[in-house]
Amino acid sequence: MRIGLVCPYRWDVPGGVQYHVRDLAETLRGMGHHVEVLTPAEHEESLTDPWLTFAGRTVPVPYNGSMAGVQFGPVSAARVRRWLRDGHFDVVHVHEPAAPSVALLVCIIATGPIVATYHAATTRSKVLAAFGPVVRPWLEKISGRIAVSDFARRVQVEHLGGDAVIIPNGVHVGAFADGPRLPAVPGDAPTIGFLGRYDEPRKGLPTLLGAMRTVVRRHPDARLLVAGRGDAGQLDRLVGEELRPHVVLLGEVSEADKAAFLRSVDIYCAPNLLGESFGVVLIEAMSAGAPTVASDLDAFARVLDGGAAGVLVPRGDAAALGEALSDLLADPGRRAELSARGAEVARSYDWPVLARRILAVYETVVPPGGGGVTALEDDQVPGVPPTGVAPRSSRWRGNAR
Amino acid sequence: MGAQAWTWTAVAVVVVVLLAWTAWTLVRLRRLERRVTRARAALESQLRRRAGLADELAREHPAALGALRARALAEAAAEARSTPRGDREAAENALGRELRDLPADLPGVPASVQADLAGTSTRVALARRFYNDAVRDTQALRSRRLPRVLRLHAGRPVPRFFDIDDRLEELTASSAGSGSGGRP
Repeated sequence: MRIGLVCPYRWDVPGGVQYHVRDLAETLRGMGHHVEVLTPAEHEESLTDPWLTFAGRTVPVPYNGSMAGVQFGPVSAARVRRWLRDGHFDVVHVHEPAAPSVALLVCIIATGPIVATYHAATTRSKVLAAFGPVVRPWLEKISGRIAVSDFARRVQVEHLGGDAVIIPNGVHVGAFADGPRLPAVPGDAPTIGFLGRYDEPRKGLPTLLGAMRTVVRRHPDARLLVAGRGDAGQLDRLVGEELRPHVVLLGEVSEADKAAFLRSVDIYCAPNLLGESFGVVLIEAMSAGAPTVASDLDAFARVLDGGAAGVLVPRGDAAALGEALSDLLADPGRRAELSARGAEVARSYDWPVLARRILAVYETVVPPGGGGVTALEDDQVPGVPPTGVAPRSSRWRGNAR
Repeated sequence: MGAQAWTWTAVAVVVVVLLAWTAWTLVRLRRLERRVTRARAALESQLRRRAGLADELAREHPAALGALRARALAEAAAEARSTPRGDREAAENALGRELRDLPADLPGVPASVQADLAGTSTRVALARRFYNDAVRDTQALRSRRLPRVLRLHAGRPVPRFFDIDDRLEELTASSAGSGSGGRP
């Protein structure tokens, strides 16, 4: 199958959507499909792989709590048209098409089977609410919609008036499952791992530190390993005199070190208090074979299979968390059981598994006999951004046939 | 310019805007109609495939299923195949129920047939969702005031939802995941 993927964000800037597109493209290529990616970038020369096509630079505007790359105009439109014509794709898969980006531009220009994946999970989306009705005529061309989570699906249903099937973000399970351990981690002492911005209260580190006071009473040599960015001085004050020997700050870790870190800990703990639609770090921990203890957020409960693949504790309850951690440290049998069950759950998030589900979506929207995706004729496409103030006559000129 | 000229200008502007809007809406409606047709074709082909596989399973592996169950499955498949488009839902529901009630392991049935059947059931659910999504978009546009008043596409039937129980929660609520996580 010939597949065209469209990434709306700059390829040379790290981000979840970019990683998703990259991993999906690699996995599908590995399965023998022809995959090309159209993406904006800060520097054109950073797109070294031959299957990447430069869509232009973007003008960053605030969108949905982050920066989206706005990209419109005749030059971008011409690039999109050329990419669509040269690619002869059976299906085009755009990501986050509701933002005024190259993904939306592809929706405007392409005719044929279009699949879209929605990533945004925030509901503080005034821009989205304002844009929804404006971009709707073009989003109507999408034949199959995918959301990466319940939350993303809810945004889709509430603001954009459509439905979506859920196919979560993937993890390269193999990269986490096998490899070295972190040399900095002591081998004999029981260790608990925490990953994330430790100075953000919603990540729940204060709760975990409270719990550690319980843990060290039962396991005097227990260590808490903290990996991630933040204000080290503030953390130090938070830890206090009594816990200081039990807390090791690793600082920011690389992708490879993150995997090694997760393989090294005896328990991975996610004490988040709220707002986590992102259960991927739990999946990564489970891939690495770490037994997990997490707060009972909806997303976490779903990833942990309602508590079967990891221990769930009431969010913000330091006493309950301390109890759960101490019990688990004292019970190697239960840890092995959780580790095995977790690895099994993680396998369902492995990229090849998810890529096959995405392929099923492609095959459903591609009519038998193909037909493929083409670009509309030049004069049928407006080179103007579809904003609310766009003159009606230009829309008419652009789209009536 | 006199008051009358202003009035005529205003009327002309309104007419032009209305015409432009009508043309654009007709484009959208035609596009949606094609999408509904495509989605319906995909759904029909998946449903036919499912009925075919069920029939094959019932005819060629009655021993694995048990005679009673094989007969029920064959009947359900035949019913789903013969019922006209209009009221297919009940027949497809019956077939879906028979297929779901099959034991998890069927000794003697080749793994490829079982995998085919599972894959087709997933695709029925996908195709149905995409079809209903297209119907929803069409109905939303058709039911707006101006298309109704101007009777755009009024002569064509409004597409109907296709409602069967295909365990869709697997596609909408099961595996959770990740989301906003990494936005740049």
